[in-house]
Amino acid sequence: MAAQQGDVDELFDVKNAYYIGSYQQCINEAQKQPRLFVFSFKPSSPEKETERDMFLYRAYIAQRKYAVVLDDIKANSPPELQAVKMFAEYLSSESKRDAIVADLDKKMAKSVDLNTDAALRTLHQGESLECMAMTIQVLLSLDRVDLARKELKKMQEQDEDATLTQLATAWVNIAVGGEKLQDAYYIFQEMSDKYSSTLLLLNGQAACYMAQNKWEEAEGVLQEALDKDSSHPETLINLIVLTQHLGKAPEVTNRYLSQLKDAHRAHPFLKDYLAKENEFDRLVLQYAPTATA
Amino acid sequence: MCHYKIIDQLLQILGLSFHPKRPWVLASLHNGVIQLWDYRMCTLIDKFDEHDGPVRGIDFHKQQPLFVSGGDDYKIKVWNYKLRRCLFTLLGHLDYIRTTFFHHEYPWILSASDDQTIRIWNWQSRTCVCVLTGHNHYVMCAQFHPSEDLVVSASLDQTVRVWDISGLRKKNLSPGAVETEVRGISGVDLFGASDAVVKHVLEGHDRGVNWAAFHPSMPLIVSGADDRQVKIWRMNESKAWELDTCRGHYNNVSCAVFHPRQELILSNSEDKSIRVWDMSKRTGVQTFRRDHDRFWVLGAHPNLNLFAAGHDSGMIVFKLERERPAYAVHGNMLYYVKDRFLRQLDFNSSKDTAVMQLRSGSKFPVFSMSYNPAENAVLLCTRATNLENSTYDLYSIPKESDSQNPDAPEGKRSSGLTAVWVARNRFAVLDRMHSLLIKNLKNEIVKKVQVPSCEEIFYAGTGSLLLRDADGVTLFDVQQKRSLATVKIAKVKYVVWSADTSHVALLAKHAIMICNRKLESLCNIHENIRVKSGAWDESGVFIYTTSNHIKYALTSGDHGIIRTLDLPIYVTRVRGNSVYCLDRECRPRVLTIDPTEYRFKLALVNRKYDEVLHMVRNAKLVGQSIIAYLQKKGYPEVALHFVKDEKTRFSLALECGNIEVALEAAKALDERSCWERLGEAALLQGHHQVVEMCYQRTKNFDKLTFLYLITGNLAKLRKMMKIAEIRKDMSGHYQAALYLGDVSERVRILKNCGQKSLAYLTAATHGLDEEAEALKETFDPEKETVPEVDPNAQLLQPPPPINPLDTNWPLLTVSKGFFEGAIAAKGESSALTHNRYGFMDAQEALGDDGIGKEEGGGWEVEEDLDLPPELDMPAGAGGGAEDGFFVPPTKGMSPSQMWCNNSQLPVDHILAGSFETAMRLLHDQVGVVNFGPYKTLFMQTLSRGRTCYLGLPSLPCLRSHPQRNWKDCGAKQGLPAVGLRLSDLISRLQQCYQLTTAGRFEEAVERFRVILLSVPLLVVDNKQEIAEAQQLITICREYIVGLTMETERKKLPKDTLEQQKRLCEMAAYFTHCNLQPVHMVLVLRTALNLFFKLRNFKTAAGFARRLLELGPKPDVAQQTRKILAACEKTLTDAHQLNYDPHNPFDLCAASFVPLYRGRPVEKCPLSGACYCPTYKGQICRVTQVTEIGKDVIGLRVSPLQFR
Repeated sequence: MAAQQGDVDELFDVKNAYYIGSYQQCINEAQKQPRLFVFSFKPSSPEKETERDMFLYRAYIAQRKYAVVLDDIKANSPPELQAVKMFAEYLSSESKRDAIVADLDKKMAKSVDLNTDAALRTLHQGESLECMAMTIQVLLSLDRVDLARKELKKMQEQDEDATLTQLATAWVNIAVGGEKLQDAYYIFQEMSDKYSSTLLLLNGQAACYMAQNKWEEAEGVLQEALDKDSSHPETLINLIVLTQHLGKAPEVTNRYLSQLKDAHRAHPFLKDYLAKENEFDRLVLQYAPTATA
Repeated sequence: MCHYKIIDQLLQILGLSFHPKRPWVLASLHNGVIQLWDYRMCTLIDKFDEHDGPVRGIDFHKQQPLFVSGGDDYKIKVWNYKLRRCLFTLLGHLDYIRTTFFHHEYPWILSASDDQTIRIWNWQSRTCVCVLTGHNHYVMCAQFHPSEDLVVSASLDQTVRVWDISGLRKKNLSPGAVETEVRGISGVDLFGASDAVVKHVLEGHDRGVNWAAFHPSMPLIVSGADDRQVKIWRMNESKAWELDTCRGHYNNVSCAVFHPRQELILSNSEDKSIRVWDMSKRTGVQTFRRDHDRFWVLGAHPNLNLFAAGHDSGMIVFKLERERPAYAVHGNMLYYVKDRFLRQLDFNSSKDTAVMQLRSGSKFPVFSMSYNPAENAVLLCTRATNLENSTYDLYSIPKESDSQNPDAPEGKRSSGLTAVWVARNRFAVLDRMHSLLIKNLKNEIVKKVQVPSCEEIFYAGTGSLLLRDADGVTLFDVQQKRSLATVKIAKVKYVVWSADTSHVALLAKHAIMICNRKLESLCNIHENIRVKSGAWDESGVFIYTTSNHIKYALTSGDHGIIRTLDLPIYVTRVRGNSVYCLDRECRPRVLTIDPTEYRFKLALVNRKYDEVLHMVRNAKLVGQSIIAYLQKKGYPEVALHFVKDEKTRFSLALECGNIEVALEAAKALDERSCWERLGEAALLQGHHQVVEMCYQRTKNFDKLTFLYLITGNLAKLRKMMKIAEIRKDMSGHYQAALYLGDVSERVRILKNCGQKSLAYLTAATHGLDEEAEALKETFDPEKETVPEVDPNAQLLQPPPPINPLDTNWPLLTVSKGFFEGAIAAKGESSALTHNRYGFMDAQEALGDDGIGKEEGGGWEVEEDLDLPPELDMPAGAGGGAEDGFFVPPTKGMSPSQMWCNNSQLPVDHILAGSFETAMRLLHDQVGVVNFGPYKTLFMQTLSRGRTCYLGLPSLPCLRSHPQRNWKDCGAKQGLPAVGLRLSDLISRLQQCYQLTTAGRFEEAVERFRVILLSVPLLVVDNKQEIAEAQQLITICREYIVGLTMETERKKLPKDTLEQQKRLCEMAAYFTHCNLQPVHMVLVLRTALNLFFKLRNFKTAAGFARRLLELGPKPDVAQQTRKILAACEKTLTDAHQLNYDPHNPFDLCAASFVPLYRGRPVEKCPLSGACYCPTYKGQICRVTQVTEIGKDVIGLRVSPLQFR
C-alpha cells in the first residue's frame, strides 16, 4: 500500500481524506469511486476494492460509527475486513477488550492500550508508510524523538511528499520543538489549504501555536474547530489548556472539562486525570501538621 | 523583441513619427498619403493626402498640434492635425526631400534633399533661414542634435557631416537681434558661411550613407550605409573619429538609431531584417526578419520603450523588452523587482523598502516571480531570447535589511524556463526539455515528474500546478502525479488566483477565462485589446486591465469598463475602491475606481436585494442601460424599482406578474391596449376584479357578460342585459337572458325582433301558456303555421351559482422577494417550479445511493494488498520476521521529566505531573502540610501542561508540551509554559475587593485564599515581580485575617457588657488590618459606632479622626464630624478594653488578640500571619494549608531566587 513512485494511486483521495481526518469525505470518496472508474480506469482490481472498503470502514470507525462496520462486514468478507471489524469490536465495547486481545492470541498489538512494545514489534515488520507513521507515533508517545526522527528519515526516503510523511514530519517537528514548530504549523496549514481544514489539522495547528506560546492565535484556530464539532475531545482538551493560559476565569475552563467528562468518559486524558486525582488524594495523606487545634 | 503590432496596409512606408504623448504614430506612404494611426488599437485615425508622389520626411512637433512632411514633390508641408489640414507649404528645394524634422526648441524645420542641400526653415515666419551646402550627392538624412547647436547629415557622397549652427542661433534668437530675412539662395551665399559651418566630416563608409543620428546624451553618432555596415562615431570639440562597425546586414542599411535609454543600437535594412546591437560589445543581440518586405525607416518613441519600423507593405510597432514588472503579492505585501533590487511594499502603510539586491549577470530583466511566505524565499525567473538559455534564481530574503543598502544574498541559479513554489519546501521547475522537476530548498532535484506536453507552468495552490499546452490548461497534482482537470483556452499568459483560491482567472492575450478551483470554466470574456493584468477584489470580482482600461468581470460572466487608462498598468491588488498597481517604470501607484456598477451587479447575482435596494436608493445608477440590463438578465422586479416612466413600468410589471403595479400604471396611462393586456394577465391570475375593470374600461360587453356569468354574479349579469337592451344589442341582450335563464325576457326579445314562431315555441316549451296563447293568436293562420312544440323538450335553465365568486382566485402564497416586499406587490407562483426541481434532485440522489449500494457486496478477495499494518502480522515477538530480532526501544525521557530536572519551582513540577515532588517543594519552601485545598489548583495546573494533537485516526492522540522557553531551550533545557500570571492574580484581586465592598465576606475570604495559594505557583522573571508577589500575599493575608475576624465577631453574642467589650475590641483590631481606603472607611465607621455606643469616646474620637483623614464621602464626613464633636465634649473612655491604639501590635489570626511588640510570636511560613505561640504546629487559619511556625526555605517563585 505504499505509494509506489510514478504510480497513480487510484485510492489517493480516499486515503488522503482519511489521513487528514476528513472522514466523511473519505466515506463519500470511497462510495463514489466505482462510478468514477467507469470513465477513468478499468474497474479497479478486487484488491483495490478491498483496500478501498478498508478505508471506508476505518473512516466509519474514526467517526465512532462502529455499528455500521459491525453490521456491514459479514463472516464471508475478506480477512482484512475481518480485522477491521475486530478493531471496531474492540473499540465499541470496553468490556470485551480483554477478550478480543486474548482472542488474537496476543498477536495483534493494537497500540490503543499502551501495549507499545508489542505494537512496535508488530510494526517493525511492515514497510509501508502507514506502518512507519504508526511507528513514529508510538515512538513519540514513548518520548523517543531520536528514534522517531530516524524512522521519519526512512519515510522521507520512500516518499517525502506523501500526505503521511508530511503529517509524520509535523508530529516529529512538534516533538522536537523550537524553530521546527513553525514548520509543523505550515504543514498543517498547507494541508488544510489544499484539501480542507479538519479537526485533526486544526488541532495540529493549535498545538503548534500553543507550543510557541501564541495563545491568541491558537484561540482562533480552536474556535474554528469547536464550530465544526462542539464535543470533539482533543479540541476540548486543548481549550482547557488554552483558556487557562489566556487567563480566563476558572469557570470557563471547568465548563470544557465537564463537557469532556460528559461525552468522553473513557478518553485517556480523563483516565490520566482521574488517576492523578487519586494520586493526589493518596499523597495528601503523607502530610499532616505536627499539632492539631 | 517582443510585443509587436503589425499594421499592414499593403503600401510602402517611408517615414514614421511617434506622437510624444498620445498613442499615435504618423506614417508617410509611397503613394503620397500621410496616415495617422492609433497603434494601441491598431486603428487608422486620419489621412492627409496633399502630397504628390512619395512622402519621405515626417515629424510630429513636440508641443504643438503640428507635424511636418516632405515629399518627392519638393514640397515641405506643415500640418495641424487638430484642424486636420495643411497650414502652409515651404518651397525651395529643387529635388526630392528625404527627411524633415522640427527643432526641439526653436521654430525651425530641418530638411534634407536630393538637391544636395540641407535647409533650415523658420515655420513661424515661414521662410528658409539657412542653407547648408557641402555634400556633393543626395543628402539622405539630416537631424538636429537633441540639445546642442549641431546638425548631423548623411549623404550618398559616402560622408556623414556634423554642422555647427550656433551662429544661426545667435543671429536669429539672441535677444534684441533682428531676425534677418534670408531670401533665396543668394542670401545664403552672403551669410550662410557664418550661420552654419561644417564641423566634422566623417569618412569611413565606402558606399552612400542612408542615415545618421546623434546619441541622446553622449557625443556619439550612428550611421547606416549601403556598404551594409552600421558605424558608430565619437566626436569631441576638435575632431570626430570612427569608433566601431557593426557588420551583419547583407543588404543596404536603411536606418540606424540609438536606443533612447539602453546601450543598444537598432538598425534595419533592405535585407528584410531589423537588428539590435549591443553598443559596448558591438555584437548583434537580436534579429527580427520579415519574409518579403524590405525595411526603409525606423522611428523611436521619445519617451516610451517603443519603436516603429516601416517596410514595403506596412509597419510594425514593437518594443525591445517586456515592461511588465515581475511581482508577487502575499497578504498585505507586494514584492517586486525594480532595477536590481527586490522591493517590498506594505499596502497598508505604503512603506516601500528594498529588501535585497539581486545578483547581476543577466542582461535580461526578471520575467516572473514566485514568493514563498513560509520560508521567506523567492524564485526569480529570467527569460533569455533563446528560451533554452533561461534561468531562475532561488533567493532567501534576508530577515533584516537596510533599505538604503540592502544585502545581496547569494542565490542559487539553475537553468529552467519557469520555477514556481508548489509547497512550503518544494518548487517545480519546467526545464528546457519541458519536463517537470521538483526541487527542494537546497535546489536539489527531489523528483522528476512526467507531465503531459507543457509549455509553461503556473502556480495552483499547494501541491498543484497549472500546465499550459498549445490549446489548454491542465490542473495537475504534483503529489499524485495526475491531471485533475483540463480546460481549453489558447495561450494563457498569466494566472490570477483569488485569495481563497476558489477561483482562478486565466489571462490570454485577448481572452479571459474564469474558472473555479476544479478548473471548470465559469465564463469567457473576449477583449479586442491586450489583457495586461488582474486581481481579485475581496468580494470575488475580478478586476483586470487591458492596455487602456480597467475593467471588471463577475464570475457569472458580466463584465464592463470601470475607467480608462493613459498607460498600461499592472494590477497588484484591489481593496474597496482602490486599485493598487505597478506602472511600467515599476512605480507602485494607487488608482481610485468607482465600484458601484459591479457591486450592484454582484449583489444582483447573489440576490442580495437589500444591498441592491440600498444602491438603487443611494447611488446614481439609474439609466436606460441598467434597466435594459436588469430586464435582459431576468430581474424585471428589480428594474421595476428604477423606472418612473409609466409605460415601461407597465410592461415590467406585467413581465413580473405584478398586477397591482400594472393596474396603477394602466390607470395612469389609460390606453385601450394597456387595459387589454392587463385584462389578459389578470385573467391568467384569476384576478377577476381587475379583469372586470379592464373590460369595463375597454367597453368589452361580451367578455364582461361572460365574466359575470362564470363568476356567478347574477345581479351584474342582469344589469348587463339591461345595458344590452339600451344599446339595442339584440344578440347580447338575448345571450344575457339565456345566461340568466330568464324565459319571459327571451320571449319578449324574440317577439320584439319579429321571431314570432321562436317566441311562441320558447313560451310553449317553457310552459308559459298564457304568453303562448297570446302569441298563438297573433299568428295569421293563413300565412303562418304554428310550429309544433316538441313534446320531449326539456327545461333549459342555467344552474344557479352555488356561491357567487366575489373575491379573486386564491393564489399560492409565495414568500415575498425582497423587491416585491419593497414594492409591496404580490409575486407569481414560481415557487411551484422550484419545488418540482427540488423533488427531482432528491429522486436523483436516491438513485445514486441505490447504485452505490449495489456495488457494495459480493466480491471475493484472495490476496491482501493493503492490510493495515497493525493487523498485518504473523506472530508476536519477532516471530517470522526476516530481519532478525527486534528489540523494542525503552521509554525515552519526556519533556515533563526534564521540567522536573530543570526546575525547583513547584508549579513546574505540577505541570510535569509530578505531584509528589511538587508537594515536597511546597512543603519545604512554604511549609504546606495540608494539601487538600490545593487539589483544584493542582488539577487545573496539571490540565494545562499538555496540549494534544491527532496522529493517525483511531489511535490515541499525541501530546505536546508547551514550553515557556521554547525558542532556545534545545532538547534538554525545557521549562513548561506556566499559564498563571502575576497580572492575572492581581486583576482577580479586584473581584475580591468588590465582594468585600458588597459585604460578602465569606466568599471574599474564599477568593482571597485561592489567590494566596496560587502565589507559590507563579513563575516571575525579576526582583520587582518577586516583591509584588510577596506583597500580594500580604494583601490577601490582611484581608483574610480581617474578614474572618469580622465574620467571627458577627456571630458572637452581645448580651453582656463583657461580650460587648469583646465585640468592640475585635472591631478595633479590624481597623489595624491593612485594607483599601474604601474598606477602611467602612471598618472605621463600624468601630466608631460601637465605641461611641459603649461611651468610649476617647478611642471613638481616634477612630473618627482616622476616618476623616481618609476623606470619606461628604455625608459620611459630616456625620463623623458630628460624632467627633460629641466625643470631644467628654474625651474619656467608659470601659477598659484590651486595645491600645498607640502601642503597635500584631493580631493573632487564631484567637484575635493583640500580640504587642516584643512578645513571642509564631508566624505562618506562607502568609506571614502571626499567632500566639500556643498555636505552633497547627494549621494556619489564613492559608489553611501551612503549618504555623514551621521552619522553611521561603517562597520561591523565580529562578533568580536559586542563584
